[in-house]
Amino acid sequence: MLGQGNEVGAETLPTELLGGKTFWETLTSERYFKWLLITPLLLVLAIFMFYPFFYCLYYSAHQYAMPRPPKFIGLDNFRAVLQDVNFWQALGRSFYLLVISVAVELIVAMGIALLFNREFKGQNVIRGLCLLPLLISPLAMSMIWNYVLHYDLGLVNHVLAKIGFSKVNWWTPKMALYTIAAISIWQWTPFSIFVLLAGLRSLPRDAFEAARVDGATRWYTFRRLTLPMLMPMIMIIILLRTMWLIRLFDPLYGTTHGGVGTETFDWMVYRVAFVFFDVGTGSTLAIISLFLTLIICALLFRVLMKSLGAAE
Amino acid sequence: MKRIAFWIVTLVILFVFVFPIFWVYLTSIKGKADIYSLEFSKQFIYSPTLDNFVHLFYKTPFFQEITSTFIVAVASTILVMLVALPAAYSFARYNTGYGHLLFITISTRMFPAAVAAIPFFFAFKALGLLDTHFGLTMLYLYFNVSFAVFLLFGFFREIPVELEQAAMVDGYGRLAILRRIIFPLIKPGAAITAVFCLVFAWNEFLFAFLFTRLHAKPLSVGLSNFWATIEIQWGPMSAGAALAILPTLTAAWLMQRYIIRGLTFGAVKG
Repeated sequence: MLGQGNEVGAETLPTELLGGKTFWETLTSERYFKWLLITPLLLVLAIFMFYPFFYCLYYSAHQYAMPRPPKFIGLDNFRAVLQDVNFWQALGRSFYLLVISVAVELIVAMGIALLFNREFKGQNVIRGLCLLPLLISPLAMSMIWNYVLHYDLGLVNHVLAKIGFSKVNWWTPKMALYTIAAISIWQWTPFSIFVLLAGLRSLPRDAFEAARVDGATRWYTFRRLTLPMLMPMIMIIILLRTMWLIRLFDPLYGTTHGGVGTETFDWMVYRVAFVFFDVGTGSTLAIISLFLTLIICALLFRVLMKSLGAAE
Repeated sequence: MKRIAFWIVTLVILFVFVFPIFWVYLTSIKGKADIYSLEFSKQFIYSPTLDNFVHLFYKTPFFQEITSTFIVAVASTILVMLVALPAAYSFARYNTGYGHLLFITISTRMFPAAVAAIPFFFAFKALGLLDTHFGLTMLYLYFNVSFAVFLLFGFFREIPVELEQAAMVDGYGRLAILRRIIFPLIKPGAAITAVFCLVFAWNEFLFAFLFTRLHAKPLSVGLSNFWATIEIQWGPMSAGAALAILPTLTAAWLMQRYIIRGLTFGAVKG
């Protein structure tokens, strides 16, 4: 990009002096215009992506726990991290949380979207109300869940006790991760519902008419027509939700503070870097997580672009 | 029969999604004694009180916090739109960078927050940007810009190229085309993108929590402060949350019509 720019710049300069093209015309010619439009974004990316990346890369090769000065130790940080049981556990939890949340959200949202994909009384109000969880602050909401799911004070356990079940401790090491997943699923399922609903409403009617005339069963129609046509929508959901779930932080802060077996990867980075001020190890973790997410999302992005292309 | 089943399921769905938020409002007018009561009846039957709001208004810097949230959310949204609109147009119309650049842009949002948080914390410290509105605004610019480009890219793709070509034949310049043709068509998409950026910035917690202390502390951090040493002060916290959701609710209500279209990345035509 840079080399190209210089070359052409040298060509256009004389004509500009001769009074041919003005500077403004050159700037708005297609060749430059598209880069001109994108320059602010490139600046933002340069500052906010490359700087942190190289910073983390640099300090991941150093032993640097805050008050003491950094000391170069090569790849020792990576060795230590990769041998750390906590690291693998946190990584496993993050991944587990990601898979169950996305899977449950997709299935539930698909059901609800299919249900709502018709005309009914008050449809706009009802769909609008389903959007509410998206709007409330995740942090505030997780603190409210902390109350609703409290062992002694919470509504859920009160109701369970009233109808004859035993109270459930939602915050044991066994349960807590699922509770966190449930909170995040509650908050984000509406997002999937709306994406899928929008997709369903835009499907071509005639294909479905034809299927009905041919006597296809509902399940067959869903599997062979609806599902493939919704693929771009499903990929968008998976991609965006993966990106958001990897940086799951608020529900943990509002409930367990990363305790009782809920320390996810992002929380671990936070704890190492901002509670222990161990910048070296923190940077190492950051670099590892960066590469992991890049790989996952590059794959997803590829599939998304493919399915978008196929949909056209 | 089928209709009844439909409505029962619909009501259950509504209950699940709306009840917890309703509960925030119920808790916000519940006295401390009732919140900590072990009796079942106190869950629903209690004498409402405004104590929590009084506490919120007089004992905590609620108004300062909501002002901070407002300044940062609005400023960052404007900046995000200024950066994302031309860039998304360039991606959609000229395929700038052949998809690679678009992927790099989108991937900024994939970085776990801590990747950015560590370096920026020390950079901000050196530059004196910690605990300032400007610093937080810049972080939210980073935080939202990729998502905005992603959404707007879809909207720009929906605008047929032929419109522009026709205008060019008629002798419009590039800027005139942008102003007279593209801008009116992108307005709904831009509006919904802006609402999303506003809501995300309004509710963002991690960066705010790490990068502000007193002066620029936004509402989300204020709410987290109700986590006292032993227990959460649920009453005032709910009062704060109940008020905090109102602006985002209004914004979303106004934009409802566009929201569905906005989420589909341009894959849905019409």
